[in-house]
Amino acid sequence: MPEIREDLGAAHARAWLRLAAPGAWQTGAEKVAIAAEARAALDCPACAQRKAALSPEQPIQAHAGPSGLDTALVDLIHRIRTDADRLTPAWFARVVPSILSVERYVETVGIIAEVTAVDSFMTAMGMPLWPLPAPLAGKLTGVRPKAAKLAGAWVPTVAPEDISTDDPEPVQAMYRNRSAANIHRALSLVPEAVNGFFDLDDAMYLPDALLRKFEEEPRAITHAQIELLAARVSALNRCLY
Amino acid sequence: MLLRGSGQHAGQTYDDRFAIDAKTDSGVPHARVLLDFAEACSALSADLADRREAVRNTLGEAALVDAAATIAIFQAVVKIADATGIPLEDAKAEISAAFRADLDLDAFVAE
Repeated sequence: MPEIREDLGAAHARAWLRLAAPGAWQTGAEKVAIAAEARAALDCPACAQRKAALSPEQPIQAHAGPSGLDTALVDLIHRIRTDADRLTPAWFARVVPSILSVERYVETVGIIAEVTAVDSFMTAMGMPLWPLPAPLAGKLTGVRPKAAKLAGAWVPTVAPEDISTDDPEPVQAMYRNRSAANIHRALSLVPEAVNGFFDLDDAMYLPDALLRKFEEEPRAITHAQIELLAARVSALNRCLY
Repeated sequence: MLLRGSGQHAGQTYDDRFAIDAKTDSGVPHARVLLDFAEACSALSADLADRREAVRNTLGEAALVDAAATIAIFQAVVKIADATGIPLEDAKAEISAAFRADLDLDAFVAE
């Protein structure tokens, strides 16, 4: 079995604990069902059919997925997992809020992203995927930053300068030790999603403070090799950002 | 852009056309074996196991882990960017304009 950095394994374990726990807007069971659909999308014939189609709007067969989620929500999850580069503002306007609220949408994107990161790592290493966790019971946190507003993205986001000292801890923590780059703001309507995803990102990529510290090489590959991979993967996914 | 910064620090000029044309020699050490691995991971291609072993044999086990982690987290980061419609920051757009034009990256923008 390959030897995985201790901090990396711990970050993956924390991601699975977050996945099982109730979130801001969805229960642990709902979150795990979203994760199961995100995972199933890679082997879904309908997703392959859509990916091969000239337009993602062409009709496709029903998705193959394990959950009992609403079919429109399953389509949304599968599409983000397998065809994200062809999402458009028009598509977003069709699904939010008719299929789910914008808060649940942002939380769902965060779940898909975390599962994608952990599963992609295990696949890259040739290791079996972790079984999805059993959902935990509990109350939804329902933290919605009062400073969230539309500012160029499809979803409302929070600017760091708009966070006040009386905001709850998850809001305060969002930009602690990280820049206000738009990728950090993207999930900020759901602060727990920001804090969760970038906990994973710090271990899998680099903590923000080390991104430009070219004189320090904290990984077994160099900054240049890390950025080479990041740029190529982004281009393969046709992601401008 | 961070690759350019890394190159400047090292006194190297890396050719970033590799991002869209994997045959380009970027100048980054062991780029070929790393890019082959990234492409196999992204496509889930049949040669993934061979590409993984090539990284392990060339750079070692710890480097394989860090390469796999980088590839995997960027498979996720792009989904966040694409699904939330975040724009490129004005400052980044300005300093990357020539670079994006060279590589025709603006074709990736959602309509």
